[in-house]
Amino acid sequence: MRPFRMPPQILRLVLLTVGIVTSYLIARFFLTPASFGELGWFRANALMEIASAKPVYAGKKACDECHSEEYQKLSQAEHKSLSCEACHGPGAEHADNPDIHKMTILTFSHCVRCHEADPSRPKWHKQINPKTHYPGQVCTECHVPHQPNEVP
Amino acid sequence: MTNTVTNIVVEMIPHFEGYVYPNEATQQPLWSILIVLYPYITGLVAGAFIMASLVRVFNVKALEPVYRLSMLTAFAFLLCAPLPLLFHLGHPERCYEVMITPHLTSPMAIFGFVYAWYLMAVLLLELWFDYRRDLVRWADTTPGFRGLLYRLFTVGVTDLSEPAIRLDATIGHVLSVVGIPSAFLLHGYVGFIFGSVKANPWWGNVLMPIIFIMSAMVSGIALCVFNYMVLSWVRRRTVDMRCLDVMGMFLFYALVVDAAIEALDWVHRVYSAEEGFQLMQYMAREKLFYTLNLGQALLGTLVPLVLLGGLQLIRKRFSELVRRRLYFVSALLILVGVLAMRWNVVIGGQLFSKSLRGVMSYKMEFAGLEGWFMGGVLLALPFVVLTVLITLFLSEKLPSAGHPEPKPAPV
Amino acid sequence: MKPGFSRRRILGNLAGTLGAIATFAVAKKAKAAVQKVLVTSDAPKGYDPHQHQWLMAIDVDRCIGCGHCVEACKRENHVPEEPWYFRTWIERYVITKPAPGSAQSRGEVFVFSPNGGMRKPGEGQPKEPPVDLPPKEEVQHSFFVPKLCNLCHHSPCAQVCPVGATFDAPDGTVLVDPKYCIGCGFCIQACPYGCRFLNPITKTAEKCTLCYHRITRGLKPACVEVCPTQARIFGDMKQAAPDDPIRQFFQNHRVQCLKPHLGTEPRVLYAGLDKEVR
Repeated sequence: MRPFRMPPQILRLVLLTVGIVTSYLIARFFLTPASFGELGWFRANALMEIASAKPVYAGKKACDECHSEEYQKLSQAEHKSLSCEACHGPGAEHADNPDIHKMTILTFSHCVRCHEADPSRPKWHKQINPKTHYPGQVCTECHVPHQPNEVP
Repeated sequence: MTNTVTNIVVEMIPHFEGYVYPNEATQQPLWSILIVLYPYITGLVAGAFIMASLVRVFNVKALEPVYRLSMLTAFAFLLCAPLPLLFHLGHPERCYEVMITPHLTSPMAIFGFVYAWYLMAVLLLELWFDYRRDLVRWADTTPGFRGLLYRLFTVGVTDLSEPAIRLDATIGHVLSVVGIPSAFLLHGYVGFIFGSVKANPWWGNVLMPIIFIMSAMVSGIALCVFNYMVLSWVRRRTVDMRCLDVMGMFLFYALVVDAAIEALDWVHRVYSAEEGFQLMQYMAREKLFYTLNLGQALLGTLVPLVLLGGLQLIRKRFSELVRRRLYFVSALLILVGVLAMRWNVVIGGQLFSKSLRGVMSYKMEFAGLEGWFMGGVLLALPFVVLTVLITLFLSEKLPSAGHPEPKPAPV
Repeated sequence: MKPGFSRRRILGNLAGTLGAIATFAVAKKAKAAVQKVLVTSDAPKGYDPHQHQWLMAIDVDRCIGCGHCVEACKRENHVPEEPWYFRTWIERYVITKPAPGSAQSRGEVFVFSPNGGMRKPGEGQPKEPPVDLPPKEEVQHSFFVPKLCNLCHHSPCAQVCPVGATFDAPDGTVLVDPKYCIGCGFCIQACPYGCRFLNPITKTAEKCTLCYHRITRGLKPACVEVCPTQARIFGDMKQAAPDDPIRQFFQNHRVQCLKPHLGTEPRVLYAGLDKEVR
């Protein structure tokens, strides 16, 4: 019985294969990012990384801290469902530094955005046609935005 | 509309009719010409390999003259296959992630492994076992850098004894057998990438991987015909007509099966007329008119079917010269037709909205990573690589021992 | 044995290599720990994703199409202004009356979303590009539908990501890891609702995150914050009391989801939808 001698081609190829697979496994160990697989097939650290962005809008409650008078007025009438920032724009910067970052005081153009008559808007929503509803006048002459059921 | 990001005024009026989701109203589809080329190139690889394996596995002796050329073709195209993908990625420097943390529910995730397996375990190994005898011989006789290359490729194995040669042949045969399903996997998974997208009715159906594989085989055989004839013409050698006739026969029958399955897809769509069918019909008629009706159907399928079918039926009537011309023209038409088919699938699927209410346009640019020029370069590159490989491994100046036979030839 | 090779040398080399690998492994763990501390210093403290199951619901009958939500989302999440990319948008549906004398129940359906439905202050309807609405008398039904990530139970987008960059978080959101995404675009192709896009600046996929950085701090998503009519209802299904708006919504409305035949089981449900909405 001839003793089994590994053919040279096979030996070289097996060595090469083992080398390639080993390098792959080592590379995989080092290149897999930290926290990968802890919560699922993703980097668990990503959750907190995404959550660490700074908010741009402060949220209605943040306005109440300093502007409680307007906040109270707002809660009396139809605009109570509105957030301050819907009309006045993002407020996180202002909430952090009220003196440096000022908010905008609005004029007529903003009211039209919600209250212009549009056939796709539901019927219960109050709408006017800006061309025929007291054209040339500013909304705030007759309406109080913070408390729409009042007259100025 | 100006793009203020780059401070360059760019006309970005979205081109669409009807209603499309706002995120779909882009100038270019997300998967552009680069993603058209990738399935095309891997399809050519799979098809050329299958054709070569006809020699080894099914013992079609007539195709012997074209065996090594087919294998080198498959190799050259496989080397260039990842390039369109790399150029297309938003973050190509992160491409290693697909091998390090492959998400196994994604067909795209197996790309790294299937590619590595096919390149190393199938193609390179089979080429090596086939060429080993010659490599050892050339390593001894060739001077300079080329000789060094041959010595490198022998991997230090210089055993040319009878048992070693026989082992080469046996392993080569096994590799060919293993290679056939591997080739199907290499290209089938690409078809499955599209077939698995249920969100897109143009793509997401069960026939997609089959259609991709069949058209890959057709294009691969056509490429081998094309390469063989061009190489013979460049070297001013006569082609082996029997080899060409057999290639033409396989090309014809593969085309018949491919055309039948694509026709089935089309008939089923028209018959069941599911939601979105009218929109897809409109899209195919308006946006894909030339590439679908002219490129894929007429020039790419019907004309070659007639030419090749005619050649099968009444071969005796045609002279060798006419047959050669017809094979060449058919092969060229099929190559163009299969490229058109890839275009129709990839781009067509992105030319209509998922809202099923609108269609978009694709105005290809010339320059840029996803333009005409880059497309042309990526298509030409495998041929350049193939030329280098032919110079190294299929040169007429270097004597070749031929393929190792399972049994030693009678003296 | 060939000269130059000795058993000692080989073993020495092997031990050296193993030692180097072990050192690198320890260094990698240390680096990961430091990174985690540095990165999460800005993150909300004590947030456990397993304690929450965030959900948004849409009341289509209450949407007035003002576009505040679209603008707030773009500002909050720094979405590129142009070209047209949106994490959330508004669609306008106009269904006309059937032609007189025809036996149809409805006329034609028109769908618009000019600039995602975002109106600039000072504008009524967006002017660019111009939209030809059918005249009021011809309209049978007309309504606005806010669209966003549908928070699918079986997200096809997470299923097809090749590297694990987009995923279903344990708290009900579907997020994209911008540091890991390779920008292949498969998730964008796989989303049936068109809510994903490739950010042209970061070259990664992007989508609605339910303002993850806000909800983890107890704030509401920006779109919910600025909606004047409570068309968007947001809540935590794990911690919501019976009188919470989101519980009330499901108690009071019959709801539908988009594209149910695809089996994605979207968790975002709509009250007041029409058969024409895709």
